[in-house]
Amino acid sequence: MGSELYAYGLLAIPLFSATLIAFFFRRSGGIAAGVSIAAAALILATALHLIFKVDNFEYNASWIEIGSFSVDFGFLIDDLAKLMLFVVAFVGFLVHVFSYGYMKEDPDRGRFFGGLSIFMFSMLGLVIASGLVTLFIFWELVGFSSYMLIGFYLDKPSAAAASKKAFIVNRVGDFGFLIGIVMVFSHFGTFSLSSLAGVFHGDATLLDSASMTAIGLLLFCGTVGKSGQLPLHVWLPDAMEGPTPVSALIHAATMVAAGVFLLCRTGFLMTADALHVITWVGVATALVAGFTAIAQRDIKKILAYSTVSQLGYMVAAFGLGSLVALDGGASHGHAVVTGGVAAAMFHLTTHAFFKALLFLGSGSVIHACHHEQDIFRMGGLAKNMPITFWTFTIGLLALIGTPFITAGFYSKDAILALAYQQSAPAFFCLVLGAVLTAFYMIRLWKIAFLGSPKSENAERATENGLVMTAPLCLLAIGSALGGFVWAYPEALRPIIEVGESVAHGEHHTTVAIFSIVAWAIGLSAAWFVYQGGAEKDRLESSAKPLYQIFKEKFYFDQVYDWYIAKVQQRVAMTLHFMEQIALSGLIIRGMAGVAGLIGIGLRSLHVGNLHNYVYWFLGGLALFWALVVGIF
Amino acid sequence: MNEFSSLVQYSIAVPLFLAFITLWAKNWGRPAVQIVAVTGFAIPLILALFAWMLYNPAEPGGYAFVSDLDTGLSLIGISLHLGLNGVSLPLFVMAATVGLAAGLYAAQSKAENLHRYLFCLLVMQAGLMGVFASIDIFFFYFFHELALIPTFIMVGIWGGRDRNYAAMKMTIYLTLGAMLSLVGLIAIYVKSGAGSFDLITLKAHLAQAPLAESIQNYAFGLLLFGFGILVSLWPLHTWAPLGYGAAPSSAAMLHAGVLKKFGLYGLIQVAIPLLPNGASLWERWIVWLALGNVLIVGFIAMAQKDLKQLIGYSSVMHMGYAFLGIAAMSVLGVGGVVIMMVAHGLTVALLFMLSTMVHHRTQTFEMGEMGGLAKKAPVLAAFFVCAMMASIGLPGPGLANFWGELSIFLAVYEFKNWLIFAIVAGIVISAIYGLRAIASVFLGGESDEFVESQKEVSVVDMSWSERVPALILIILLFFVGFFPKTITESLYDSLELEPVYAKGDND
Repeated sequence: MGSELYAYGLLAIPLFSATLIAFFFRRSGGIAAGVSIAAAALILATALHLIFKVDNFEYNASWIEIGSFSVDFGFLIDDLAKLMLFVVAFVGFLVHVFSYGYMKEDPDRGRFFGGLSIFMFSMLGLVIASGLVTLFIFWELVGFSSYMLIGFYLDKPSAAAASKKAFIVNRVGDFGFLIGIVMVFSHFGTFSLSSLAGVFHGDATLLDSASMTAIGLLLFCGTVGKSGQLPLHVWLPDAMEGPTPVSALIHAATMVAAGVFLLCRTGFLMTADALHVITWVGVATALVAGFTAIAQRDIKKILAYSTVSQLGYMVAAFGLGSLVALDGGASHGHAVVTGGVAAAMFHLTTHAFFKALLFLGSGSVIHACHHEQDIFRMGGLAKNMPITFWTFTIGLLALIGTPFITAGFYSKDAILALAYQQSAPAFFCLVLGAVLTAFYMIRLWKIAFLGSPKSENAERATENGLVMTAPLCLLAIGSALGGFVWAYPEALRPIIEVGESVAHGEHHTTVAIFSIVAWAIGLSAAWFVYQGGAEKDRLESSAKPLYQIFKEKFYFDQVYDWYIAKVQQRVAMTLHFMEQIALSGLIIRGMAGVAGLIGIGLRSLHVGNLHNYVYWFLGGLALFWALVVGIF
Repeated sequence: MNEFSSLVQYSIAVPLFLAFITLWAKNWGRPAVQIVAVTGFAIPLILALFAWMLYNPAEPGGYAFVSDLDTGLSLIGISLHLGLNGVSLPLFVMAATVGLAAGLYAAQSKAENLHRYLFCLLVMQAGLMGVFASIDIFFFYFFHELALIPTFIMVGIWGGRDRNYAAMKMTIYLTLGAMLSLVGLIAIYVKSGAGSFDLITLKAHLAQAPLAESIQNYAFGLLLFGFGILVSLWPLHTWAPLGYGAAPSSAAMLHAGVLKKFGLYGLIQVAIPLLPNGASLWERWIVWLALGNVLIVGFIAMAQKDLKQLIGYSSVMHMGYAFLGIAAMSVLGVGGVVIMMVAHGLTVALLFMLSTMVHHRTQTFEMGEMGGLAKKAPVLAAFFVCAMMASIGLPGPGLANFWGELSIFLAVYEFKNWLIFAIVAGIVISAIYGLRAIASVFLGGESDEFVESQKEVSVVDMSWSERVPALILIILLFFVGFFPKTITESLYDSLELEPVYAKGDND
């Protein structure tokens, strides 16, 4: 049996599940949930088989061909794909199980689980795609499933607006991505990732050209859109309008990380100039989102900005690490995995565990509090929901990089180590980001979980059932152990190993000290500023102007809204108006206009050359014919 | 004469013949009319699918299913010369598919004088099948007129709001366009001296003795603007949204989906191969005007409040891609245009049909007076989202549209680098208006007007008689998307035969 059959199976299972639900179980939510969860379990099993029992392989089948333009449908199963496959299948399965409890009372469960299956199909396709076009196709499909699930609550206008925004903002990123793909094909005549890598391995001087920088940055546009990098990050916090399991799976652990995955897939063609831009976009995103998270009240919004910030870390990690590899003389194609790819993927993996955990934990809280999302209206949840509280705490400790015992510490250390080697300003910005992370997370934790309940909903909250707590516990284990290489099975190690060795590089102690100090400052500052179960944000009263900027998210949304209302829509209305004027103008002046035209035509008759005579003769002939046939 | 060439002949003759039977079947009652008409639409599709499976271009000029009937006009070089090549075959199948969907939808409509309405549609269908099957350019033109005239009649009689004005405007524009292109075609006939309207003969003749550049120049100009009006080239597009807005849905489906492609098809199969020098002289014009289609009309589409107008403008916008792909004059560009024509024809027909179904439920096309329809009609919402996503080129439902766009983008980049930025901007623009439409029709809360209208008409989800025609279109769209080679292989072979495109590929 060919290895590719397993890959086909990976795609067929969720597609079959989605089709089944769409055609037969739309109205029977229970069965739909069962089908979808069974599919997720089967996917996990297939993925594990593919990871552990099947060697790396590439498979291609010709899909479309017009002359030299040809696209293959194919799979590229290598270490990178296997690691990502594991993350997607594992987190995906747990989220499916959790959703069974979370969505239990929703009448539209069928649509929800169908959407999850479509998402799994698209995401798995994206991970194992062997060429840029196939990857782009699945890339668009994950965007579509995300759109569908953000807008899940059909009658909520805010959900409709958020889903629309997510799709359009992503399309802005895809604008660049698609042009990049077209340019890649035009330069190299292939879409295949492995053939492209081969071209770059053979000729390192390719990376010196300005057009390669352009291609790299255009492809990066895709990442900016999908992974919520500045300035296109605005859709991701709004995407929290979707059900919370969706936020955990799509908008925290997997889909938004697809942009980082894309960078790792195409890392070999990034020039130094492009990498500098990528690094700084990542750093700026990490900081801006970190500051914004400080002043949010909605538990999911805080986590969403935290996700944006962590994605900034991954993008910066990729940029910094690839720069290190470039400076190291060898074109980064030569190493099996560069430090950049490894550090980015390492953090992506640990982040998938703890951020999915945090989102599911917040889902557990929201579910128990009857859809209360404002942390200032919670408080005291630690007592009522012990499992959620403890697992949430583990996830939180991992996110803020608690030294030595959590996954986040090691993966963040790898990034900081690369920054220390490559660029001092980036290093200090990222350390500041770490302070912010600890600060806003402790704020959330103290206010929501400690103190006394601030609303009736919070007071009556009780722990959820096993369906919801079991996934939390499994993810908590991942969040704690995900930083240690020995915790990973052999097949997943290659990339994690490099990532870890980056963290244990020569400046290991210095970086770790900075990291621990940042952690301690952020943690203690938040500890002193906020009271457990506070009702008001103390920062609001003490640092009003600053707080205002953070609360208003650095005014990105306002600027875009202004652009849409005052520029885009006005241009559209003006053009529409002008067209209407031109129309009615023609009708009013119709007769006179026709007479004038005939005059011009007659004049040319007398001065014209032979061609004009022929022209008019034939025109007359046609007119005559039209009259006879009766068109006039 | 091929043993299967009668497939093509019957696919034209059967709808034409049954059109008259429909008039007669009125005496046997409404079901008889419906059955006869639907048969008239189903047979061409079955024949077209057979032709697709049996396609084997063994005949000279790269054609299959060739037949030549004397019409008594051989003195001036006109004969009913039918056949299909790789360019016309996919369009022929698409025309038959859209025809059946439109026919099924029309047969169950509440139109007054249903038999006459179906008569017009069947005549139109015969014309459409003929357009893509004609090798003789006189008949190519004749079949276009055969399909066009019923369109005017249907808009004028069964149309909606502003139908008289729309019918008049459509007639003036389209007749002007048709006349200009006729003059161009006659010019080629006269100037070539081949004494024949036969495309293969003309091609062979002109390959030996190309027309002088000045003649090519004006003849191509005539054809460009003639065909351009028919395809709604900016700024000659204003008839389209207006006309489609007023046209009854089946007529809009057939016109926007199929008949409109006549102009593009004429440029690809006739104008550019016969007048290659003329085409390169006019290339700049095509580019600039097509940019008007993509960017200006794209923005205008964003300002639309009427669902049908929006679809009309979006269709005009997509024609800009097609013109840009043609301007690249390479196998890839033109091939992309043909794929896009097929995908666009199916998609836009689907959108027009679904928007009429929306109208049946909301009693309006004003998007501001709808909202929240997805709750009441989830299946309709799913179909509409699928169609709109296809229209904006989202792979999945719109995989076929995506193949067309991708090939065009590549060809355009190789033709003129900078153009890529303008044309790809279209994917953002179309996402904006497309998603706005979905949101305002199906999502959010119900508008006051919609709540009001539900007091008179209760909203039900899509019935099976509505689903079947929609499914027919979607199935072919998916099929072409997932198995694009079923059309691209023969398409490539046919385009490679044209020196003007093959040359563009090797540059």
